[in-house]
Amino acid sequence: MALTAIDIYKLLPKTNCRECGQSTCLAFAMQIAAGKASIDLCPPASEEAREKLSAAAAPPLPKVTIGTGEREVVLGDETVLFRHEKTFYHPTAIAVSIRDDASDEEFTSRLAAIRRLSFERVGQRISVDLVALRCASGDAGRYARAAAAALEATGLPLVLLAPAEPLASAVEVVAASRPLLAPPPEDLVPAAKLAAERKLPLRVRARGIEGLSVALADARAAGAVSLVADPSPETPREAVAFATNIRRLAILSRNRDLAYPSAFDLGGGFPDPFLAAALLVAKYGSLLVLDSADPADLLPLLTLRQNLFTDPQRPIQVEPGVYPIGAPSESSPVLITTNFSLTYFTVRGDAEAAKVPAHLLIADVDGMSVLTAWAAGKFTGESISKMLAECGIGEKVTHRTLILPGMVARLSGRIEELSGWRVLVGPQESSALPSYLRRLPPGAFLPVHG
Amino acid sequence: MSVALPIPGFPGRILAVTLPAGPGGTPVTVGGQNALPLLPEGEHPNAPAVGMEVRTGPLELPPALAGTIGPFAGDPAAMARKCAGDWGARFLFLSLAGCHPDAGGQSVSFGAAVVREVLSATPAPVIVGGCGDEEVDARLFPAVAEAAGRPVFLSYAEEKNYRLVAGAALAYDHGVVSWSPIDINMAKQMNLLLADLGFPPDRVLIDPLTGGLGYGMEYTFSIVERIRLAGLSGDAALARPILCHLGDAWKAREATDASEGSWGDVDLRGRRWEETTGLACLAAGADLLVCRHPSNVARLSGAAWR
Ligand code: B12
Ligand code: SF4
Repeated sequence: MALTAIDIYKLLPKTNCRECGQSTCLAFAMQIAAGKASIDLCPPASEEAREKLSAAAAPPLPKVTIGTGEREVVLGDETVLFRHEKTFYHPTAIAVSIRDDASDEEFTSRLAAIRRLSFERVGQRISVDLVALRCASGDAGRYARAAAAALEATGLPLVLLAPAEPLASAVEVVAASRPLLAPPPEDLVPAAKLAAERKLPLRVRARGIEGLSVALADARAAGAVSLVADPSPETPREAVAFATNIRRLAILSRNRDLAYPSAFDLGGGFPDPFLAAALLVAKYGSLLVLDSADPADLLPLLTLRQNLFTDPQRPIQVEPGVYPIGAPSESSPVLITTNFSLTYFTVRGDAEAAKVPAHLLIADVDGMSVLTAWAAGKFTGESISKMLAECGIGEKVTHRTLILPGMVARLSGRIEELSGWRVLVGPQESSALPSYLRRLPPGAFLPVHG
Repeated sequence: MSVALPIPGFPGRILAVTLPAGPGGTPVTVGGQNALPLLPEGEHPNAPAVGMEVRTGPLELPPALAGTIGPFAGDPAAMARKCAGDWGARFLFLSLAGCHPDAGGQSVSFGAAVVREVLSATPAPVIVGGCGDEEVDARLFPAVAEAAGRPVFLSYAEEKNYRLVAGAALAYDHGVVSWSPIDINMAKQMNLLLADLGFPPDRVLIDPLTGGLGYGMEYTFSIVERIRLAGLSGDAALARPILCHLGDAWKAREATDASEGSWGDVDLRGRRWEETTGLACLAAGADLLVCRHPSNVARLSGAAWR
């Protein structure tokens, strides 16, 4: 739990010396509690106070990074147990596995399949984040070559699932890409030493939370710092319980010894990996390794992740403005919709399918759907008339006819009254736009004069 | 070294609600828990239940459904037998969509006859859904309430029609599903309004409106979590079992479009789309799920542990 101003005050020198810029120690304690000041500003503070306060200021769940640059994957660093309390920051990372004993041909085509697990949804790219390389050959040289090839072919960060010896030889060739070392439990100590020496993240795998508390301490003793915890569950049900309790220990108990991002290897015969993966995206899995590279499995999982890791206060939205559909002219139809990404991309897709060039106005409604924005009073006769007057559409077209979403037909009178534009009520569902636009009479968009 | 787990204890408990069955059938009881879903803590006397939808009116089945329910879907009684008999649905959600003026406009008496037929085809518990047209439903619910030879649930009672639906249900010992559009205050308000009418609380289910995966599912997820946490924390009006109807999952292009080769097999993808929507609902706290794909009855029941 975060410290209160009183807890903090008790740790301060209580001399009111004002060196921190505050008139009293209590005032300074309140600043710290509110996150507005740091203990560094109090020179007389004791070593103990410094330690306790910086520990309390650290995120309850530490941040672990794998990979570098654009493809860097961030795990952990979460602050709440439920997304409605604030938001989740770092989406569950998903790794798809490949075996080092595959034939060259199989290996190449599997990597290509993994690379293709990347989709565009509502203006965002959703992709598999890592490649997990399983050492099945037992051959250190072969494993290292496979690691280099996987990195080269996909550019994705690696999870190295291998015993100490092959792990060490792979690290020789790919250390700069900051892979996650994932040794079996019996090779923890040598792998932890390697992680410490190379400053690489390490997955610690042990049975259950009790097992992890011992293994994580061993890894720390060997010098490893950046850790993720795999409680090695036997069933999806255990996986959900372990993930939940690891997250609770971090956030509710501020238990530093067990507060690490969680990792789950759902391959290699784990029962019902798809079900486990979906539940762990919803419930606190930080990193999942899957054997399936089937897009019919991955697209739903990545979509679930996109949904749940969207900030509940900020729907995915697009920039308001005037967007061209095709190459519109001064006599092309003018349509209006809202800046909720889901709405905009649906309408744009449907309008493009119509193959009728048009101007699409995207109204600024803080990312709400048409009816939600209407119900919230953000998509109104007034706001639409204002947009028509100010967005510059008047210079782009010579006519003054607006096509309104069918769901808000009731706004037409008010818009006509306020803006002087004529309103045509479009279909309720934008999927009907193609036939609607093609059926519009040729005279619908004649220039107006005066 | 033993690690002390910070397992939250809750003062509240979700009311247990039973969906009655016909002679020889198995009633479904859900609720009764005092803990969060899927976790081995607190008491969970009843596991979540998975049912299937049976519907009237024109059907345009996506590829993943056409091959499985296609041969039965047009005949509600046959479909009901199949769902409850072969596919393991623990209850049925009979949607009278066909009574909607835009969906063929079957008459109210026809709708009521379908209900009778389905109830005699299977002893499984049944929830009867209206057609969504306010004016038609106002006649349909009383007719269904009267025609049903055994207790069912009527879905749904909302702000505009709750007096009528609850009145019809009270007169014939049925239950109601209380609906609100992803809005916890409205969900609570609905249950208070029903209580004011003297409606027995143990015959009410909450339907929070279920958005499909990729199309609003995140709003449902959080509203279900909030309703459940409020109920467990002692808000009696929200301490009710939650029903999620997964039908919206089948509106997604990703669940139905066979033309996108890079998305993988449309059959598996469609099933996964519904399954994923359902798993998210279970993780949030749903007690009853309604699905359309037979294989998802088993898949989702597999996660409905307690
Ligand atoms: C998810 C949701 C929410 C989310 C917000 C989602 C968002 N970012 O907008 C939350 C939970 C926050 C929310 C809040 C509210 N909501 Co709300 N919400 C919904 C829900 C379930 C889905 C909306 C959605 O995402 N639709 C998908 C998008 C793509 O649809 P769309 O924008 O309408 O676009 C389609 C068409 O309009 C058309 N179209 C769009 N643009 C154009 C343009 C042209 C030219 C044409 C021809 C067609 C066209 O094609 C699109 C595809 O079919 C709807 C119910 C529903 N099924 O619609 C209720 C709904 C919109 N909400 C409603 C209400 C009342 C509210 C609230 C006032 C109360 C509440 N529930 O809390 C608040 C208001 C917001 C506020 N004050 O903050 C009501 C509106 C009532 C009414 N009949 O007008 C609805 C209809 C639910 C209901 N049946 O009661 N909501
Ligand atoms: S510098 Fe430290 S001791 Fe001095 S007033 Fe500020 S908090 Fe108190």
